[in-house]
Amino acid sequence: MQVLDRVKINQEISDLKKIYGEDRSALLPILQDLQEKYGYLPNLVMQETAHALGIHPVEVESVASFYSFFHRKEKQGKYVLRLCQTISCDLSGKAKVARQLENELGIKFGETTKDGMFTLEYTNCLGMCDQGPALLINDRLFARVTPEKVPQIIADCRRDFIKSAFPKVVPSDVRKSGPILSHDLKPGEGLKAALKNTRSGVISLIRESGLKGRGGAGFPTAVKWQLAGAAQSDKKFVVCNADEGEPGTFKDRYLLFQHTEMIFDGMTIAAYAIGAMKGFVYLRGEYLYLKQYLQEVLEKRRQNNLLGENILGKEGFNFDIEIRMGSGAYVCGEETALIESLEGYRGEPRNRPPFPVDTGFQNHPTIVNNVETFLDAALICVKGAKWFNEHGTEKSSGTKLFSVSGDCEQPGIYELPFGITIEQLLKEVKGENAKAVQIGGASGRCVARKDFNRTIAFEDISSGGSIIVFGPQVDMLEVAINFMEFFVEESCGQCTPCREGNVKLLEGLKLLEEGRCSASYLNELMRLAETIQLASKCGLGQSSPNAFVSIIENFKSEILGRVPEKA
Amino acid sequence: MEDNEKVMTESTVRAPKSTTPSTIKAPEDISAIGATIKVTIDGKEIRVPMGTTILNAARMLGINIPTLCHHNDLCISGVCRICVVEVEGMRTLQASCAYPISQPIVVHTHTRKVRQARRHVVDLLLARHYGECYSCVRNNNCELQQLAHEYGVDFYRFGHVDKPTYGRDNSSYAIVRDMDKCILCRRCVRTCIDLQEVGVYEAFERGNQTRIGTFMDNPMAELICINCGQCINRCPTGALHANDPSDAIWAAIDDPTKHVVIQTAPAPRSAIGECFGLPAGTPLTFEMNTAMRYCGFDKVFDTNFSADLTIIEEGTELILRLYKALVKKEPVSLPLFTSCSPGWVKYIEHFYPEMLSHLSSAKSPQQMFGAVIKTYYAELNNIDPADIVTVALMPCTAKKFECNRPEMNSSGFKDIDYGLTTRELAGMFQEAGIDLPNMPKSDFDEPFGTRTGSGVIFGATGGVMESAIRTVYELITGDRIDNLFERARIMPVRGFEGIRYAELPIAKVGPVPDLLKHLIPNWDWLRGATLKVAVAHGTANAKKVLDNIKSGGKLSECHFIEFMACPGGCLGGGGMPIPTNEEIRAARAQAIYAEDEASEVRKSYENPAVVRLYNEFLVDGPCGHKSHKLLHTYYTPRGKKLV
Repeated sequence: MQVLDRVKINQEISDLKKIYGEDRSALLPILQDLQEKYGYLPNLVMQETAHALGIHPVEVESVASFYSFFHRKEKQGKYVLRLCQTISCDLSGKAKVARQLENELGIKFGETTKDGMFTLEYTNCLGMCDQGPALLINDRLFARVTPEKVPQIIADCRRDFIKSAFPKVVPSDVRKSGPILSHDLKPGEGLKAALKNTRSGVISLIRESGLKGRGGAGFPTAVKWQLAGAAQSDKKFVVCNADEGEPGTFKDRYLLFQHTEMIFDGMTIAAYAIGAMKGFVYLRGEYLYLKQYLQEVLEKRRQNNLLGENILGKEGFNFDIEIRMGSGAYVCGEETALIESLEGYRGEPRNRPPFPVDTGFQNHPTIVNNVETFLDAALICVKGAKWFNEHGTEKSSGTKLFSVSGDCEQPGIYELPFGITIEQLLKEVKGENAKAVQIGGASGRCVARKDFNRTIAFEDISSGGSIIVFGPQVDMLEVAINFMEFFVEESCGQCTPCREGNVKLLEGLKLLEEGRCSASYLNELMRLAETIQLASKCGLGQSSPNAFVSIIENFKSEILGRVPEKA
Repeated sequence: MEDNEKVMTESTVRAPKSTTPSTIKAPEDISAIGATIKVTIDGKEIRVPMGTTILNAARMLGINIPTLCHHNDLCISGVCRICVVEVEGMRTLQASCAYPISQPIVVHTHTRKVRQARRHVVDLLLARHYGECYSCVRNNNCELQQLAHEYGVDFYRFGHVDKPTYGRDNSSYAIVRDMDKCILCRRCVRTCIDLQEVGVYEAFERGNQTRIGTFMDNPMAELICINCGQCINRCPTGALHANDPSDAIWAAIDDPTKHVVIQTAPAPRSAIGECFGLPAGTPLTFEMNTAMRYCGFDKVFDTNFSADLTIIEEGTELILRLYKALVKKEPVSLPLFTSCSPGWVKYIEHFYPEMLSHLSSAKSPQQMFGAVIKTYYAELNNIDPADIVTVALMPCTAKKFECNRPEMNSSGFKDIDYGLTTRELAGMFQEAGIDLPNMPKSDFDEPFGTRTGSGVIFGATGGVMESAIRTVYELITGDRIDNLFERARIMPVRGFEGIRYAELPIAKVGPVPDLLKHLIPNWDWLRGATLKVAVAHGTANAKKVLDNIKSGGKLSECHFIEFMACPGGCLGGGGMPIPTNEEIRAARAQAIYAEDEASEVRKSYENPAVVRLYNEFLVDGPCGHKSHKLLHTYYTPRGKKLV
């Protein structure tokens, strides 16, 4: 048992407060750093952190227990192996890799080896869906892991090789570029163009382009900026939602690495448009390996006066960006949950109204936009609204990045115009065989063959970019179970329909698997799914039964009346 | 006074932003153009101020919308989703408790979707709710049970758990936690953090693993808990309840060798009727006396006696501290803090141990009475104190902890053997088949039976201060307080404002009364002085007062401050009938002040029983040697660290 030194811990906390701030919003980064140091969060650390921030110890423990990357009970291994259990990796052979990891290490998932070297855990989507199964070891990513690679990976860990032997960032294949991905702009070029315009001029330009939020909800970006810009407050904030947690998406991970400057340009333009002085990138904990790189880019931008005071000579335009890490919670992709998390709380979505544009981070007007939205906005400022909206449909202008995974020959990143039919898309990715496509990730919808003529657009089938192709051999009931397991685990747990309802849907799927579910109970569950859609507190809760509903609706005959194998 | 006013008006809510009420404020002038908005609910129209919630608008119209996580004392939560309604033009249902109206809307409260959602919410909560109603302390007073009834639940649509997951935590003297009955409404979390600033509970984990936890999952006895029981009062189910001693009390009553006496605090009499279907604020003082005798208690005493005794002891302590500070120029801690509320005492022991010297050393009325019964009363009646069982009927769960403090045994015996709450006494009455409202009336037993108003107002926030002012003012000036305040109603210290401040000029002084002659030569040093006092209730308000004092704010100039752990004072205590809210507390307060006005004695120093005690027993006077031994105590700096 490690003897903890109270005086030393308090000194560390007080040093961390100097970096992250005096108020509660410093809580997550402080806990992240302390966990890094101690391997877990001992009770003493949580208590002293609470007192240093003027809150109760139970509040700190509550926050720590919410995020799956924090550990309160026991020290983690030197190497924490997190195997992705989400659908795409599941389809590409996760189960065998899991088995082999257990065999090699002699422990089960959730355990740590006796020598303190390895901890084995499952995690939800690592954003490597096109190259699964994916394994995250501390901050190193391993793609396309096969059972026979497992012994070597573990041996490399033992010899401390993994830091040198593997690249920090595993890129994804861009299979198809369009106007967005093929831009040739230099750092700051978007911002320079925007600063020539007035604040309202920038917003007008964005409005003209028809740009809608790329996260999937499709809220008009210009309206969001307009509302935040008009709100009266001494402080305003710009937040980049880089909490790309939706199963099947990985395009933001790619963008953050390959189009970093333009994303920061976009954030700075947004700050200019609404009058913000501070920005955050909320980067999901699974992308820790990107943090250092992003910070280097930010530093370079500060040196080039693309951040800081009087940016590019614009008198009074001051803005800076800070990277804040998530800690393993899908729900933090919901914007109000993200703000709660930034403030040092559990990532529990807020009641709306009021909306973040009015009452956001620390009750100040705040805009939260997706990574891709900022990139698009920066490019629009240089190339104009028409360049953007000549692609896509009237209500869904522009091109969209899609993360394609599953049963197709060419998984990867595609830039395609909105309004494309599913059929066309499947042709692009060479997945014409598909019996169904999951559009929009776990919270999206499962589209069967008969609907492949539908289009991907905000006015038809909306998507944040996740496309998972299911080949003819896929058992759709297993897919539904995987999605529902995901929501049961990732629900924030505050509202009754999402917390309790999804458990009942999952139990129902297990009954179906055993061939023991009556049609009338299935109908009751479909009504319950409707309740979850209608009565949950946040958008994620409301969309949590979508996969369940669409799979049941489309594949009833495949699912009902099963005879279990072991029967 | 500016910083003081700021302290007094700031909200105590330090809750997550997601649960703070909407920032859309109702305008001050609601007749101004655009200040009110038309809302149509189930075809009925009403104009409401901007920011009014749908729930409140519906209530104005007399339309019932069920609630569960919502509580009028607490900030908005919006998590249970039982109160959802359909708003025209919106795709999803809206939680009416959390939806601020900012534009004209049309609302429907019982459409198919709404009825289905509510029924599902109840079904889902029942699926995880372990236990059967007939073995639950909250049977017939449970909000979940009520909803199941209202929504016609006649089977467990989504199943039902048949085994407990967590088990019961009986470790605390005061509070029992039975998390298998928890429905995660988080009222206890909001109560403990926002109203009380204690922080025992928070939500742990997430998803279907979500539960209400305590720091390090410690049991209640090993936590920083002040035992105030406010969480119990707001729990909609039986997940939180008090540690009930009534079986042990029945056993004492049944034991012929035991002389069982009960003292009754002022607050329960104003509320116990609620347990028998009467409206809040129906006083049943004298019916209760008969009923307690009917149960088998040998004597029924009034805690008002020892409340008056407390005023004499604490008032003398105040005078002595002022005398030391102003005349002798000795270092003493001022302001003096009251010590009647055991929740408050434990709060300061944990959170501000460095300020314990401010706390009056006088025991609370409950403990003083116990000490007097096991000495003076035992002598008077020639009973062996070992055979006396002292029961205290209290509005309070913290009293259960207080009577078990090891230092509370100055007679050589436990001052008080059992702390019994209002709810628990009502339970004993029901068990004995007593129809309380129809019991004949009877008086308290002698020798402590005087009806005293200065004692009874201890039940309301500000009451201790009001009693102290009545006595101290008259002892110093020789003048009647009634000349300053009509009918001795000291209105500046009354009411429910979280923190109240008052000043009392002492224009002239009189002769030193006999009672204090051995302590003070004259009052000249107080002539022309202004006595500054404050009152705070709810420990979140107490925290603000203490912080203000520590930072040298206006409240540090006070001489005397009353603190009560519970919002509303004892009448809002954790042992009082459930539910509680502002209207109920106001009704109880009204009953208490009415009893004060009807009393023969309204100033503590005029209570003949108290005078007799000093003449016959505590002959070296207030704060004398004997009173110090029996009526005063010491405190433990506990701190707020568990590891």
